[in-house]
Amino acid sequence: MTPAPVLALRKVTKTFGAVRALVDVDLAVHPGEVLAVVGDNGAGKSTVVKILAGVLGPDTGTLELDGNVVTFPTPGAARAAGVTAVFQDLALCDNLDVVENIFLGHELRERGRRSGALLDEVEMERRAWELLGELAVRLPSVRVPVGTLSGGQRQAVAILRALHGEPRVVLLDEPTSALGVAQTAEVLTLVERLRDRGLGVVLVSHSMADVHAVADRIAVLRLGRHATTFDARTTSYEDLLAAVTGARVPGPTAGPPRRVSHEADARSSATGGER
Amino acid sequence: MSIDRLTPGSQTSLREANRARVVKAVQQRGALTQVELAGVTGLSPATVSNIVKELTAAGVLATSPTSRSGRRAQQVTLARALGLVGGVHFGIRTLRVALADTSGRTVAEQRMPLAPDHRADIGLDRVALLLEEMLEQVDATRDELLRVGVGVAAPIDPADGRVTTRGLLRGWDGVRVADVLGEQLAVPIDVDNDANLGALAESRQGAAREFRDVVYIRVSNGVGAGLVLGGRVHHGRSGAAGEIGHSTIDENGPVCRCGNRGCLEMYVAAPSLLAMLEPTHGTLSMQGVLDRAAAGDLGCVRVLEDSGRHLGVAVANLCNLVDPEIVVVGGQVAAAGELLLDPLRASLARRAVPSDEGPVPVVLAEFGTQSELRGAVLLALENVEIARGGPR
Repeated sequence: MTPAPVLALRKVTKTFGAVRALVDVDLAVHPGEVLAVVGDNGAGKSTVVKILAGVLGPDTGTLELDGNVVTFPTPGAARAAGVTAVFQDLALCDNLDVVENIFLGHELRERGRRSGALLDEVEMERRAWELLGELAVRLPSVRVPVGTLSGGQRQAVAILRALHGEPRVVLLDEPTSALGVAQTAEVLTLVERLRDRGLGVVLVSHSMADVHAVADRIAVLRLGRHATTFDARTTSYEDLLAAVTGARVPGPTAGPPRRVSHEADARSSATGGER
Repeated sequence: MSIDRLTPGSQTSLREANRARVVKAVQQRGALTQVELAGVTGLSPATVSNIVKELTAAGVLATSPTSRSGRRAQQVTLARALGLVGGVHFGIRTLRVALADTSGRTVAEQRMPLAPDHRADIGLDRVALLLEEMLEQVDATRDELLRVGVGVAAPIDPADGRVTTRGLLRGWDGVRVADVLGEQLAVPIDVDNDANLGALAESRQGAAREFRDVVYIRVSNGVGAGLVLGGRVHHGRSGAAGEIGHSTIDENGPVCRCGNRGCLEMYVAAPSLLAMLEPTHGTLSMQGVLDRAAAGDLGCVRVLEDSGRHLGVAVANLCNLVDPEIVVVGGQVAAAGELLLDPLRASLARRAVPSDEGPVPVVLAEFGTQSELRGAVLLALENVEIARGGPR
């Protein structure tokens, strides 16, 4: 049957004092799939990303990688397991250029007689261009300080850096917020390319139009609970908004074929019947 | 194009008409040598040479040295200073926008994924903003934008730029695309069906540029055809000519978005192929299918072959009606290349009326997935009013 999810949350609960940020949340992302997580302010979107990325640990519930229960005590552990995140602030060094940012912390060293003494700038630049080419990211140069790039280009550099070490899941937290239309277009196209490479992508966003454009499935969180998961291809904009705001949509559009409430049957019902 | 070949008109307007003829020919083809211009316009080489000299001095045309079959020649293009045109293609899941100078050369380009059943208002709004940002990128001001051509994946009445069918592109029912976008951008807008624009681009500058009767098939998230008959794009009564995607393959087949059953689209378009593969291959993108097929994945190869075979049936029916000189296949699924075309040719040959001329050639679109965008630019270019006295 369908391939197993590469990364999943099972019955995850997380509280901060009296605030119940997540309650019994189930989510799963498969290889080559874009899973969007949407919801109102305080719905728990950021907490989901932080748990998946190893920044926070769940109070109860488990994380599964390829069906095996794992724990990510640190973001480093998550990265080592092939799960990387790009957070909203991007965490780029504005004064460093594109190559330096991409290889920050794992610079390549020159081989040969002065082995290890110097950085292999040539090789790093070559690999940076290779990566830019594969993902069709347009940059004026890889040797300009990141601070001089546009918002979309900075987002692209942050994503390229996340791709270091061949991750299997990329988490993107609000990648299109505060971007112009042209830059949004570039970031969304980049998300599609990540999926084409067979990566699982978790996309957290406020913008319904952006989410709907690239997502395969859309998980809606409401007040820390996993309200429902939609198959993006067969869901209307209205249904999506209604689920996010908690409004009920009267009539047949809210009926079962369009809406599936559990991860497990989300996939089987998407393939069965209607097609 | 046939008008261009008629003998030049009456004495009084002869000079002006000849100039217009030359400008039009350059507009349509982007770049031409003077000798080619003479051939296309039916004017004598000496007349062409004189007119080109005058128009170059007036800043309308630009010439540059080039060579044709080993001889030196003068290449004629429109002068860049005349301004820019926009091209827009609204597909079912993708938006493409380009800016081109008046010689048809693309100066900026952008692509954006679109939501299923995307809305016309959101989309047109984004196009207006995108064009503005792209003008900024190339250091141009807003008043350098002369005209915008728009292709939409639905039947369009070319007279008033309105979507004339309901349910095919759900968020766009009845939208007057030309009016809405024209108001936002304050420039004239030309609108046509996207497959028609693909046909225009391929027959003017692409794989079918030698031919006058052309069938262009676009296979992507939807399926459409553009017909070029006698060198002109055929629109029909309300712009629905060539809606091959909704011709019936199986009376009892699955229900299509158009409301009928067993439409061609349900068997050959990208969403159907992905749905067929989902039980075994999981979630895939069309690009993923193409990559796997190229790497020899049997399931992916099979659905592409079947898609080609079904297309062949529909194209055979179309060929029996139109008898084109060439069939051009474009769109994202066509990127599968011979994997799609071979079975298409085989099933076409079995069903089309055999001809002494041999089977009709079936080729890939030269502009790939860009044909429609290219066509949108060409449409705008053709209609641009260029003051023949030079830039204002």
